[in-house]
Amino acid sequence: MIIKRPSIFIYVNHPDPSVLKELCAGIEEEGVFFDIKEMDYDSPDELAWNAANDSMLGSGIGMCRTHAALQMRGIEKGHNIESYLAPDKEQSRKLGANSARAIKKLAFK
Amino acid sequence: MSLIAGVDIGNSTTEVCVGEAAADGTIHFLTSASRPTTGTKGTVANTHAIKAALNRAMSSIGRTISDISLIRLNEAAPVIGDTAMETLTETIITDSSMIGHNPSTPAGAGQAVGEILLIDNLSRGIPGTPYIVAADDSYSYEEVAAILNQSADTLDIAGVILKADEAVLVENRLRKKIPIIDEVARIDKLPDGVLAAIEVALPGQTVRMLSNPYGIATLLHLNAEETRTVTPIAKSLIGKRSAVVLKTPGGNVRENVLPAGEIYLNAENSASINLDEGAAEIMKAVADAGKIHDISGQPDTNVGNMLTRIKRGMGELDHTPDADIRITDILAVDTLAPVLISGALAGETCLEKAVGIAAMVKTQHLPMREIADKLKMELGTDVRIAGVEAVMASLGALTTPGTKLPLAILDMGGGSTDAAVISEDGRVTMTHQAGAGELVSMLIETELGLGDRHIAEQIKKYPLAKVESLFHMRMENGQMTFVDESIDPRFYGRVILLAEDGYIRIEKELPMEKIVQVRRDAKRKVFVTNAFRALKSVAPGQDLKNISNVVLVGGSAEDFEIPEMLMEEFADYRIVCGRGNIRGTEGPRNAVATGLVLSYAGERQ
Repeated sequence: MIIKRPSIFIYVNHPDPSVLKELCAGIEEEGVFFDIKEMDYDSPDELAWNAANDSMLGSGIGMCRTHAALQMRGIEKGHNIESYLAPDKEQSRKLGANSARAIKKLAFK
Repeated sequence: MSLIAGVDIGNSTTEVCVGEAAADGTIHFLTSASRPTTGTKGTVANTHAIKAALNRAMSSIGRTISDISLIRLNEAAPVIGDTAMETLTETIITDSSMIGHNPSTPAGAGQAVGEILLIDNLSRGIPGTPYIVAADDSYSYEEVAAILNQSADTLDIAGVILKADEAVLVENRLRKKIPIIDEVARIDKLPDGVLAAIEVALPGQTVRMLSNPYGIATLLHLNAEETRTVTPIAKSLIGKRSAVVLKTPGGNVRENVLPAGEIYLNAENSASINLDEGAAEIMKAVADAGKIHDISGQPDTNVGNMLTRIKRGMGELDHTPDADIRITDILAVDTLAPVLISGALAGETCLEKAVGIAAMVKTQHLPMREIADKLKMELGTDVRIAGVEAVMASLGALTTPGTKLPLAILDMGGGSTDAAVISEDGRVTMTHQAGAGELVSMLIETELGLGDRHIAEQIKKYPLAKVESLFHMRMENGQMTFVDESIDPRFYGRVILLAEDGYIRIEKELPMEKIVQVRRDAKRKVFVTNAFRALKSVAPGQDLKNISNVVLVGGSAEDFEIPEMLMEEFADYRIVCGRGNIRGTEGPRNAVATGLVLSYAGERQ
């Protein structure tokens, strides 16, 4: 039985609030749930890979300051689907939307 | 011992075959190659492709062109295929009045009617009047939601239209749930104060009220006359997940029937037929006309100009002063083309009726002599023009294991579909029909609205798959394929083509089933129709039952589904039909080139 709602995991370390907000808006617009968790290590590759593997949906985002990376379960660590060092508003929104589209099996934006 | 090369110049590819002639007259085949034809078939520009193909063939056996002692060119049939498309109807909206599109994430569900009110003018709203609020992307979703929540107590807001992709974000923040449409790019074109109806479909459904003329009439209070004029709007909104229809005073939508023009058949039984009667009637007229001398179109109409243009193109090839250029066959195919509606707000298209036409242009002879002379000068090798194309193709086709005389061949190329029947005593009857691979590409391009011939060619050539995860894809036949290395995320969730050297992404968002259906229909409409037409005209007594064996050759016989389609169709006539396998190794290609080398042996004996 599923006792936790399925969601995209966002593992963060000192995240930039404006980037994080757009990321979440991107996911919300696609209608998927997400959970944000503060971690104590700061490699975006590591954060994203762990988030994807811990998420029941197999999609995760890692974020350290402004650096954000999208990962999916089954992909090697460091081979991010998409990542930005300092994404602008549009890119952050797109990254969030893509993390949700990955689950919906829709083509990435 | 001498090396003989056979060269076949086709509409789309140039094929060569090289064989070694022994002193006793036997031929030992060494190599073959094919390259895309350069320039129009039958012009001196062809020599580039010939040299490229010969180079490729010779280098594969570690020798050079200078080792060849004789090149044999075929006396190419002086026919060239050409294609054109003609739309028969057009939809015009005077005064923009609809938006229908498929945003991936609209919000809410149901219909709403109200006056359009720009969010800037919200303060001017009158309590009690229902409004549809339009907001452009200078407002963030939080601002839009806050403004709407604030006005909810005083104003009756029935629905929202957004420019940005933020419908769900806004809806999640609204206290009162209403339908919201987003991703409307030309929101600035919405007229303030006009009555509008919006609809967002329930999940998994498409719009129901606005795709129904009476639904629009109900929502916008239209009378019978007005309802009639909105029918094209309703038609073009079928299948959409969200839609907006505006009631603009004086606004009008009409479907025009374009003056398409008549086609004149100058034949045994001369006839004329109007293009808008459709492909079936045109083809019936062509079949009833008997032997056709020439086909022309009504002057100053689209079809007239089209046929003149095709003839002029051929005229540039044959420079003889009294060049006799005639169109001896046409193939008409009904199709639907998504055409941009003039006056629409969000780039909506409407499926318009159209006719695709392939024409077969015939001249007295092609300047093959010039090609031969140029080739001879450049290579220093003896070049001879030998043999009629159909006879050479038949000779080549006979090298397919399991064939014997009498034999029918169906040569399906890029520009034309040719058929020939060789009787047991070697007599050859042949025909050239308009319409082949290029017409199929054109139909795929138009019906899918691709606007790009190259990708249409590739859709024609390769099977499709949908990438469902980074580790597996579903083939068009339902089979699943798993891969070891993860697929490039660029292909994720997309429909792709499985080409020899990797995947090709289809940029346009089209369901795989739709592409498969259009592709198969296009091939069937062109090749099945033409195969019957062609074989009937060469069959003894014009009866298909008198043909027992058909060998399919030419580029389009290599296709992964056309031969199977034809086999199914011919099964009813008890005809043994199959893809040729020239020399048991070449597949259906290279028949003419092989025939040219073989005929060399025959001539010497």
